[in-house]
Amino acid sequence: MASERYSFSLTTFSPSGKLVQIEYALAAVAAGAPSVGIKASNGVVIATENKHKSILYDEHSVHKVEMVTQHIGMIYSGMGPDYRLLVKQARKMAQQYFLVYREPIPTVQLVQRVAAVMQEYTQSGGVRPFGVSLLICGWDNDRPYLFQCDPSGAYFAWKATAMGKNYINGKTFLEKRYSKDLELDDAVHTAILTLKESFEGQMTADNIEVGICDSTGFRRLEPSHVKDYLANIP
Amino acid sequence: MSILGYNGGAMVAMKGDKCVSIAADKRFGIQAQTITCDFKKVFDMGPRLYVGLPGLATDVQTVMEKLRFRKNLYELKENRTMTPEVFGAMLSSMLYEKRFGPFFVEPVIAGLHPTTHEPFICNMDLIGCINQPDDFVVGGTASAQLYGMCEALWEPNLGPEDLFETTAQALINAFDRDAISGWGATVYIIEKDKVTVRDIKTRMD
Amino acid sequence: MSLSMEGIRPHYPDYSNAPMQRHFSPYADNGGSVVAIAGDDFVVIGADTRLSAGFSIYTRDQNKLFPLSKTTVLGCAGCWCDTLTLTRILTSRMQMYQQEHNKTMSTVACAQMLSTMLYYKRFFPYYISNVLVGLDNEGKGCVYSYDPIGHCEKATYKAGGSAGALLQPLLDNQIGLKNMEIIGDSKLTIEKATNIIKDVFISAAERDIYTGDSVIINIITKEGIKDDKFELRKD
Repeated sequence: MASERYSFSLTTFSPSGKLVQIEYALAAVAAGAPSVGIKASNGVVIATENKHKSILYDEHSVHKVEMVTQHIGMIYSGMGPDYRLLVKQARKMAQQYFLVYREPIPTVQLVQRVAAVMQEYTQSGGVRPFGVSLLICGWDNDRPYLFQCDPSGAYFAWKATAMGKNYINGKTFLEKRYSKDLELDDAVHTAILTLKESFEGQMTADNIEVGICDSTGFRRLEPSHVKDYLANIP
Repeated sequence: MSILGYNGGAMVAMKGDKCVSIAADKRFGIQAQTITCDFKKVFDMGPRLYVGLPGLATDVQTVMEKLRFRKNLYELKENRTMTPEVFGAMLSSMLYEKRFGPFFVEPVIAGLHPTTHEPFICNMDLIGCINQPDDFVVGGTASAQLYGMCEALWEPNLGPEDLFETTAQALINAFDRDAISGWGATVYIIEKDKVTVRDIKTRMD
Repeated sequence: MSLSMEGIRPHYPDYSNAPMQRHFSPYADNGGSVVAIAGDDFVVIGADTRLSAGFSIYTRDQNKLFPLSKTTVLGCAGCWCDTLTLTRILTSRMQMYQQEHNKTMSTVACAQMLSTMLYYKRFFPYYISNVLVGLDNEGKGCVYSYDPIGHCEKATYKAGGSAGALLQPLLDNQIGLKNMEIIGDSKLTIEKATNIIKDVFISAAERDIYTGDSVIINIITKEGIKDDKFELRKD
């Protein structure tokens, strides 16, 4: 392929004006585990698949749903190690903001700053872009927020979205199911249904992870809690 | 005397009923020698947010410019006006960054919250330790005199006119007993829909 | 190694040739504030009763007002041991004057003597803020204030001691009517003076840790010296 001539570690424009490194990164995301996020009237939910190849894997030890501050959390599709670096950076930025302004960081600010880090990795020497897209959810100004951050550094505000494997199907499903006066409980239900659309095998409380955020803050749902939601799914 | 008292100056801020005041003298001198009597020490950082910077005159201006820079950047980045609380926290962290080579200013902040119009006053030391009482704050070389005046004159729920009189009397009588502050005063009364600035003539000795 | 050590003598404090130095600080600051206001035919003086050193309080009930005669009272704040010595000498000098001249020393003479006595110790001063009050030869109230080495100033009101800086501008405003445009009834009465003293001490006790507990007030008129006392905050 002609574009492979530009596939060095440095992100370089191809003659057609593309940054193929970023396209590869997006391909890594599209091949990653599916994740969804839905904004409800009284909160926001993010959920992702957490499937393991072996029954020997010790589940509920390493998480995909992570809290950034009291009122912000995130998940990802793509490469786990890259994600953890971004989580670490995001937490640090949130605390730095608090230290200066004595006020929790607004979700928009955190998203902008995380996106700036991701953008930096598309323009710096000796690095590659992040192989992840993030879903960042938060609650401030008495309302929920849901953002997606891409490897390019682009970010989008969604009412609901899906990423990772089969994301096109996921999004189509959400377009049909979404309504703006959804309650948080229904949103969790819809999020799980969206994951189930493309889920291979039996969905259990051990192979999905759910995080919710409302006026009380962000939290990861316990497997037992997820199980209750799964019980309501046909 | 410390470098904080090199140029002299007195400052006070008071809380009233739905209003706040901030006032300062106008002297700029080098130790005992007076240079000018129209030196600005209180700066507007927004429509209802004022900061007073008593201390070393060069640092007064540097800190004011740094503050304006950081406040403008914040308001552009976040697309919202800065609250007095956040402004105070930002200034405090800015001063503490220079913990071992500080700016020689003891800031006084007075303002109303941009949306709730809740009165806010605070002051801090030169390395950013915030003090946020619900009556009054003082700063500068006449701070002992100001504490005595304010403690006797201040009372809760003063209206804008009474707050002006109280602030002005407290400041003027205090700096008349301080050799390196005075030579005129400026009083700002900050209300929800207007800010009144009054320049006051005082004794010039 | 040996090269760099050349000419450098290791420092052993026990074998140092430098003369040993010991310090003794002869002064203590025991705090306290004195406020005095003079009227046409009276004078009021108040002093708090807290005696302290640094962050500790020696007593909450120490009178710092010393009647020297029927018309003269001295208020002292600062180094308490100096106060004790000074007032002892003063009383004995008052007695000597009485016996030599067969009359009581006037307030004015007493004020002059205090100045002389303080200046006598010009190079090892009594570390005291003195405020002397009394009635002069015409029966008019007067206040004299001093620096530790005997500079004397006659005034109608004065705040001295640890809260002096806090209170003096307040007296300027309330008694001296400084920076006031509308001046109403300016006649100073005993009640008015006493109330102002109470108010200013309450203010001082808020901000000055060396002033508090209670205030002893002496009201001097031609009838004699009247005592008054009221409580302040004790923290």
